[in-house]
Amino acid sequence: MSVFQAILLGILGGIGIWDSRVMGMLMIDRPLILGPLVGLILGDVKTGIIMGGSLELVMMGVVGIGSATPPDTVSGSILATAFAIVSGLDVSAAVALALPIATLGQIVGILVRTANGYFVHKADKAAEIGSYKGVERSLWGGAFLFFAAYFVLVFAGAFLGSPVIGAFVKIIPDSIIKGFNVASGMLPALGVATLMQMLMNKKNAAYFFIGWVLTALIGVDTVGVTVFGAAIAYILYQNFTSKPAVASESVTTSSDDLGGEL
Amino acid sequence: MANKKVEKSVMTPDIFKKTFWRSFPLQGCFCYERMQNVGFAYQMIPALKKLYPDKKEASAALKRHLAMFNTTPAVVTFITGVTIAMEEKFKKAKDAGEECDEESINAVKTALMGPLAGIGDSFFWGTFRVIGAGIGASLATKGSILGAVLFFLIYNIPHILVRYNGLKIGYTKGVSFLSNISEGGVVSKLTEAAKILGLIVVGSMAASMVSLSIPLVINIGGAKVAIQGIFDSILKGILPLGLTFGIYKLLQKGVKTTTMLWGIILIGIGGSVLHIL
Repeated sequence: MSVFQAILLGILGGIGIWDSRVMGMLMIDRPLILGPLVGLILGDVKTGIIMGGSLELVMMGVVGIGSATPPDTVSGSILATAFAIVSGLDVSAAVALALPIATLGQIVGILVRTANGYFVHKADKAAEIGSYKGVERSLWGGAFLFFAAYFVLVFAGAFLGSPVIGAFVKIIPDSIIKGFNVASGMLPALGVATLMQMLMNKKNAAYFFIGWVLTALIGVDTVGVTVFGAAIAYILYQNFTSKPAVASESVTTSSDDLGGEL
Repeated sequence: MANKKVEKSVMTPDIFKKTFWRSFPLQGCFCYERMQNVGFAYQMIPALKKLYPDKKEASAALKRHLAMFNTTPAVVTFITGVTIAMEEKFKKAKDAGEECDEESINAVKTALMGPLAGIGDSFFWGTFRVIGAGIGASLATKGSILGAVLFFLIYNIPHILVRYNGLKIGYTKGVSFLSNISEGGVVSKLTEAAKILGLIVVGSMAASMVSLSIPLVINIGGAKVAIQGIFDSILKGILPLGLTFGIYKLLQKGVKTTTMLWGIILIGIGGSVLHIL
């Protein structure tokens, strides 16, 4: 990897963290999008796409909701994808590598969010004297710190890491690599469980199993399940909203429409 | 009556545009102490500048909007719109010599940010992102760039529509809007339906994305018994499903995601060293 490519990856790291800081969360910081972009920089888009998809499955549950700082998907996905391309790591080994990097990125994220207290107090001072410009400057001060921190992290990782990582991979015993492989099959369960925790309650738990049965036992793919789910959600939404007011009056007229529904 | 004199409204097309674009860097100066406060103040500035050219008033308004704030970024503009409407109303009332309590602006902001974050998270994180990533990842792992493109569009088309119209509705309908729709309960019903859609897709993902099998074969008195075969004969895919529910239970007990991440990796390595997994 050339210095120039490492710099480009560093900039991509800055853009990636800016997605949720400055760009209003357009999902550019997800592995699914970063993967192909890393591929573009390193001249292997195809591997980038595949790595992005695999990393997305593992990191699906890693989301920054509320005030918590999650493991950093940006540095994890960029560096893991870069190593997969440059060192020829296979997908599951690179995915496993992404996790320690993401943990490092998380620590950097916590440091920046703590250090930003400095700019918040600058904003307070600006507000004290009624300076609009001062508040604006504080915002961009914090934003700059985010960009700089992730630029340095990803650049250093990309520039120093690949020979080190390459040598490291050669000495890993096969059973460990296979272990990572097994783990990368199980890790999406964590993401799925995180989503379940967000969406599921006692009343609606049955719908989880509808989705599961459709795919596990009948073999419907995600797109098919989504269409099916949208239809169900639409029917339920109509039932929710029409129940109290319309129920008594329009039973006779609407019963024909529901004839086919069991 | 408010629409009679257009120049009296603070929300000119120009200010609307500026506020809309300024809603994106909401978390630019995120910190643990007051979270998105600087970002919130930042997007209020175009309207505040017009309302309060005077330094003293500007100072009070800026301080007000540097109070702690945190919500789902995609839905913040609704609160911004309501807040600008309130600032404008209070400024006019004050100019007319009436007494008013500006702290109620922050009370409304705080009252809105929680419920909106709840709605925003379940729609954007729980529904659009899950569907987009589910479809996107399944295409991407086959090597198609369409995965990333579809993911981006599935998430961002509703995102930008909500962000843009949120500001519009928030300002024009102001506070009455939210009390109206929460009276009819439309939002909670919509959220409930969106959660169900998300949950069906998540169920499908538990089947298509999680993989776990036990290749162990044990020898019982000369008869070879494949453990995986036993599980398969109970229910196809029961192991990944059980794993998912096990982790779900642990999450509910408050075990940290990071702890489980490393736990899973250790189990994977341990299992394959012992030839169980």
